[in-house]
Amino acid sequence: MMSTKMSARGRWAAIAGLGVATALSLAACAPPGASTGEPTTAPTEDPGKATGTLKVGFLSPTSGNFAVAGQEMLDGWNLYWEENGNEVGGVTIETIAEDDAGNPETALTKAHKLVEQDGVDIIVGPLIASTASAVAQYTSGLGIPNLHPVAASNDMTQQNWNEFTVRTGSMAGTQSTYPGGVWAAEQGNKTAVTLCHDYSFGWESCAGFVQGFVDNGGEIVQQIWAPNTTTDWAGYASQVQAALASGVDMVFVATAGGAPGPGFLTAYLDAGGDLDPLLLNCCAADQGTLRAMGDRIIGLKSVSYWAEGRDAPATQEFVEATIAKLGIVPGAYIAGGYMTASLVAKVIEEQGLLVGSDLVDAITSFTFPDSIFGEVTWDDFNNTIMPVYIREVEKGADGLLYNVPIAEFPAVDQWLGKGAPADVRAIVPYDQTNQGL
Amino acid sequence: MSNPATRVNPVVRPATGLIPSRVPGSGGGFFRSRAVQIIGLALIFVLGLALPYLGANSFTISLTSTILIAAILASSVNFLVGEGGMASLGHGAIAGAAAYGAGFASKQGWDVGMQVLLALGITLVVSFVYGILSMRTSGIYFLMVTLAVGMLIFGLASKYSTVTNGDTGIANIARPDFLGEYWQYYYFVFAMFVVATAILWLVTRSPFGASLRGIRDSESRMRSLGYSVPWYKVGAFMISGFIAGLAGLLAVWHTHFVSPTSAGVERSIFAIVMVILGGVGTLLGPLIGAAIVVLIENVLSSYVDRWQLVLGLVFILVILFLRAGVAGGIAKLVRRIRGRTTSPSGGGSPPPGVEPASNSNHTTARKETA
Repeated sequence: MMSTKMSARGRWAAIAGLGVATALSLAACAPPGASTGEPTTAPTEDPGKATGTLKVGFLSPTSGNFAVAGQEMLDGWNLYWEENGNEVGGVTIETIAEDDAGNPETALTKAHKLVEQDGVDIIVGPLIASTASAVAQYTSGLGIPNLHPVAASNDMTQQNWNEFTVRTGSMAGTQSTYPGGVWAAEQGNKTAVTLCHDYSFGWESCAGFVQGFVDNGGEIVQQIWAPNTTTDWAGYASQVQAALASGVDMVFVATAGGAPGPGFLTAYLDAGGDLDPLLLNCCAADQGTLRAMGDRIIGLKSVSYWAEGRDAPATQEFVEATIAKLGIVPGAYIAGGYMTASLVAKVIEEQGLLVGSDLVDAITSFTFPDSIFGEVTWDDFNNTIMPVYIREVEKGADGLLYNVPIAEFPAVDQWLGKGAPADVRAIVPYDQTNQGL
Repeated sequence: MSNPATRVNPVVRPATGLIPSRVPGSGGGFFRSRAVQIIGLALIFVLGLALPYLGANSFTISLTSTILIAAILASSVNFLVGEGGMASLGHGAIAGAAAYGAGFASKQGWDVGMQVLLALGITLVVSFVYGILSMRTSGIYFLMVTLAVGMLIFGLASKYSTVTNGDTGIANIARPDFLGEYWQYYYFVFAMFVVATAILWLVTRSPFGASLRGIRDSESRMRSLGYSVPWYKVGAFMISGFIAGLAGLLAVWHTHFVSPTSAGVERSIFAIVMVILGGVGTLLGPLIGAAIVVLIENVLSSYVDRWQLVLGLVFILVILFLRAGVAGGIAKLVRRIRGRTTSPSGGGSPPPGVEPASNSNHTTARKETA
């Protein structure tokens, strides 16, 4: 019995060894055969151009932690085409939407699928900084335009900018909060405390406010950082109140969209906090927060590039369409999706079907005077230059809550009033200790 | 009297698969079942080699690479769970650490050799730290320690932004030039999968593997026999961690990108899910599990919005009806078919592996004789 076992094992080992050897030798031989064979010729140019179809791959997280924001940005994109028809000047816009689950590896796989299997001409999205970065390096390598309706990470249009990646419906994190700091200082505030999420988006959002405030004579007394998994905000609310009680003039709060905004505000108001010394960022005071908090937060001030209560025809038309179609007042995510769709439509209407770098050039040299955000142009690094609004929550005639602009900073660029640096690639990313001061 | 007693399987393994690491039973059935297994392996092997020539497009090939890389990571977890009885929630972070090693080298503008060196070095250091911290724990405590170290690595990746770029991640990480094309890289990954599987299989069959299984089944017995149980565990963790690090390096060369998500706990959990779906302690279980999870996540999700629900349901169904995973289930099916065809001819030796039916027969027989 022992001997049969041994010989069986020996046979096994021989077979396994033989197998591995065959594998390696076959793999070594494979390249020349494969290079002349089918696989390398497989990635084909899209055949849709001739018939006048722009194939769009839409990537957003419609499952996972960011599902609400991801779904809203897709809703905004679809809303435009439903309202205006998906044919512009003889060009049909065909959208294939994919879920990236907020995971960079999934996003990249889906981008491969959209490009290599579906043959899309452009990719719109995704949302999260890491997914955006993963997809951008892939699409830029192929010369496929990548439009970003919502992504806010600075480096996309700074350190890691590329010719094919364009921010179309949002701003860099610091860019959108810098005017908030300027405005707060102009209002006579001398000292401020900040409360921001403790990851890239929070660091960048805080850095914008901090620089705007300090550049205009303010002083940052304390910076509080909350992990991005924070669900219980009571401790942070009491820290903020203690700071205010000790004589600090105001508090700047920047969080990601979704649950954190209502979470902080509920804790703060329940503990008897006052709305007046607060200034929030785009997402902490987005429509989701307004719906969750109701009339308690009328009078809350925030800083953002999106103001649904702005009295401009394009904005109001879009808001009414969203209420009619989706039953809600649009926040920044829906607006970003809609804005990107309207931009693509405008450019194609003017210049016909474009793909690749032609489409990117057409967008970045375009001036969009009456967009839902106001007048939008693009800088040399494919980032938006557009207005930023200081907003206050008001109740509309329809009984719904709106962020209504009370101050406007026109044509805000991403360089925080300092101009583009000589070498954008050398910019050091913000973190807790580096706030750009 | 003694005859039926020798036939009873002394150790009832909860899971056996296409290639059980230890072959209970003996005799004629042994080689025939091996033949079935070898044919199965050969089929998968040939299919893997031929895939790029079967008209598969570049997306299909690169998705298959993703599956193979996930399978390598799952294999490393499978080795620890199956042989050592140690379920780790930290292997995603080991792979992530290796990926960051390569990413950091790339960010500094160093060449591919430095990428490999740094990835390897970090993998070994991190695995050693894991091993040292967890060497005296087992069961749920082992799980918690590995989870904690994993969270630490995730935290570093996310917060130490001057080195890791924070949540934005490190992009444009180049792989060696000779692996530039997607199909070249596919063959490389495929070869690495075969090598990793072979390494783990050889370790499993070695005296070291036998000692590990001894520790899994009874730590106190092994200790009383003079084995240094903690250091065996460290050794097992180093081997497993090395394979996980390999998966991390392959992943980063595949996507050219690393971010904290790569080191996140979700990746570790998915690795365990793959192992359980495929079959704990089986040779090809990790590959089957990886294929199921990756295909649901990346292909089914294009058609089904609630794909996570499907994944959950599949997981529950496998747990309920295929305790030994898909690979174990297939092996059982094969045995059952073979058992049916061979049983009329005497059936002197039971088929290899554990068959509940035959087992219960033996126990009742023993009761009767007693």
